[in-house]
Amino acid sequence: MNKQEFLALLRRELAPLSPTEIEERLSFYGEMIDDRMEEGLTEEEAVRSVGDVSAIVKDTVVEVPLAKVKKQKNTLRPWEIVLLILGAPLWLSLLLALFAVILSVYVSLWAVVISLWAVFASFIGSAVGVLLATPFLLIKGLTLPALALLGCALFLAGASVFLFALSKLSTKGLLLLTKKSTRGFKSLFQRKDGTR
Amino acid sequence: MDIQLKRGLLDVCVLSTIKTEDSYGYKIIKDLKPCIELSESTLYTILKRLETAELLTVRTAEHGGRLRKYYRITEAGKERLRTFQKDWEELMHVYRFVTEGGTTPHE
Repeated sequence: MNKQEFLALLRRELAPLSPTEIEERLSFYGEMIDDRMEEGLTEEEAVRSVGDVSAIVKDTVVEVPLAKVKKQKNTLRPWEIVLLILGAPLWLSLLLALFAVILSVYVSLWAVVISLWAVFASFIGSAVGVLLATPFLLIKGLTLPALALLGCALFLAGASVFLFALSKLSTKGLLLLTKKSTRGFKSLFQRKDGTR
Repeated sequence: MDIQLKRGLLDVCVLSTIKTEDSYGYKIIKDLKPCIELSESTLYTILKRLETAELLTVRTAEHGGRLRKYYRITEAGKERLRTFQKDWEELMHVYRFVTEGGTTPHE
């Protein structure tokens, strides 16, 4: 490698540093190479004796305080943008379809939860209704039907207690699932340091 | 060797090469060879550190049709060398005491 190539490579590898830092180092190593050539070494030998670029970069990274290193930006290159636009009809529609499926599944889950609550409401409503009606039946002398209905009412009341627990549990579970999914979804768009 | 200790030693080594006269990068490495093998990147870091601590100053001068950076020690740099010497003389005193038995001969 000659001096030009060495310096060009070093410049590329040190790109995250500020321009001042880069120029300072380049002139330092350039000077080293020149001094060695003055001593009698050939350009190739001088470049080789100054050391290899990866070692220099490693030493540099260790020493430079974090504040001086520029942040790598997550910008897209032009050809990536063109490809993204051209492919939009395909990936965009697939993405929308996926989103629609997820949304419908989610809505269905809520439908189940709501149904549970509805059943609970009807059970407890019926139980109360029958309990209220029983006295009238007894007055009319319809003792046996009254007893049968009373039995049903008690059964419904018991079942509704169970249903209440089930509905409450399923509601909590779905809410928790929603919270976890949204957090997980959000984290896809965040980098490790918490910035977008 | 402890890395902080090594760093401190390298700093004074470099300072001693410019103690009596100005020097430049490659010459410093050559002058230090009998004492220690220094790589360019290590020297760069040391020189930068010493400059920030104002123990040396840098100037650019023309040499053989190109520019060369010369390093000159400051008063603070000289003071650092004096402190180093004093510290180590004290250390040597203790070292001798420890290795030579550490007790006064019995009467």
